Amino acid sequence: MLGKVLKYDLKYMIKNMRVFYILSIFFAITTRILFEVEQSVIINIIGQISVGCMIAMLANILINTMTRSWVRFSSSLYKDESYLTHTLPVTKNDIYNSKLIQTFLFLFIGFVVILISLFITYYSKENWQVITNIVKNITIGLNMNTIFFVTMFLIVVFLEIFNAIQCGFYGIILGNRKNNKKIGYSVLFGFILYLVSQTIVLSLIFVYGLFDSSVMGLFQTETVSIDANAFKILLVLTSLLYVIIIYCMSMLCKRTLNKGVNVE
Amino acid sequence: MSNMKLLEIKKLNKSFDDKKILTDINLSLSSGKIVGLLGKNGAGKSTLIKLINDLLTPSSGEILVNGEKIGVESKKVISYLPERTYLNKQMKVSEVIELFKDFYQDFDEEKAIKLLKDLDLDINQSLTKMSKGMQEKVQLVLVMSRKADLYILDEPLGGVDPATRDYILDTILSNFNENASVIISTHLISDIERILDEVIFIDKGKIILQSDADKLRNKEKSSIDEIFRRMFKC
Repeated sequence: MLGKVLKYDLKYMIKNMRVFYILSIFFAITTRILFEVEQSVIINIIGQISVGCMIAMLANILINTMTRSWVRFSSSLYKDESYLTHTLPVTKNDIYNSKLIQTFLFLFIGFVVILISLFITYYSKENWQVITNIVKNITIGLNMNTIFFVTMFLIVVFLEIFNAIQCGFYGIILGNRKNNKKIGYSVLFGFILYLVSQTIVLSLIFVYGLFDSSVMGLFQTETVSIDANAFKILLVLTSLLYVIIIYCMSMLCKRTLNKGVNVE
Repeated sequence: MSNMKLLEIKKLNKSFDDKKILTDINLSLSSGKIVGLLGKNGAGKSTLIKLINDLLTPSSGEILVNGEKIGVESKKVISYLPERTYLNKQMKVSEVIELFKDFYQDFDEEKAIKLLKDLDLDINQSLTKMSKGMQEKVQLVLVMSRKADLYILDEPLGGVDPATRDYILDTILSNFNENASVIISTHLISDIERILDEVIFIDKGKIILQSDADKLRNKEKSSIDEIFRRMFKC
């Protein structure tokens, strides 16, 4: 039944997100065209507006992926639509897993659309050279493979946002266990959970640092230069910790959901 | 197996903080009955129905459907019509039909389309473009197009015009099989009285009367509506 629940969650998100994807690509292409044509004051102004719109759309993609995921979660588990969700012959685990997979997929799609939009807008041999040089300088300094660095950096950012969204989910679940001021409690719990998860990641890296002086160096303010090995470990360790925290929190969410709900 | 009740509720209690909503509810329901769950506003009818449908969690007590606790299996055999519009407004009627077909094996698509035509509802129309009354009709059609064991209808006549009420009651009567039961919660007693086999009166979170409808009418020598008005006179 997970597949069926997921089908409707994905349909909802596609309906709501596609406009941002289309507009983002549209403004990227428009900007690109305006950059290519002969420059004049008017073209330059329109080009700047187009760049602004494209950047706004990119921000919208991330913000809307987060907020739409929370809104969808809240409405289908605790608002009017919950009268359908909870009476469908599916387990609460399936309902939760579907929301989590939907969030993962749309966050991924969002990342891809953002990268494509930036590529369309700014790609040129010169720009590419500048970017690769910057990245190469960083990676040579850190004694790191370029692809590894870029991939790990994107993974950490992705997991960070995914964790924030799931903290919101758990906040909504806990907030709706209260009989009053459910929205307020949901926001409060979500925020606290996010801070707690960040603190756990930081604390565990610190604990690791007790056994690895290069990582401990990152916590010592008097150390100016970043140790290459420590940075590599930091990226891998942070990703790993996020995966563990995301998994543990999803188990907690499902456990709490399975205790039952009280819809409005 | 033959003695197994379709619905059995034992010592059910529900509180919100310190406020008791339902107190010590005991109820059993056999197959093939149309039961009126009757009570004033705020008596606890909807809370009881929500508990049966897993929308609320009991403070204590047990609810069994075909001998099993509320869960996936019970949801396969219960067809529930809530008192509010609960479908995703972005969907078209045809998409909602597809959703019901996906999730409920007992959903009869042909019957749903026929009932929608009878009610002059366009299958290609989006729910956002429908009035609340039309949306409620769509929901009723979906619920009654299932071959469920237990239909639970919470205020099915609340938002519809009197002319449509008779059609809805006839739809309910003609669209459930003889082995199924129907629980109808309403305060429009005179409208549904003719179809009831059993009545349950609920007041201040307690069941104060459960009786066969005909026996009660004969005993009190008046209609259920009159008995209700006498009992709950302010």
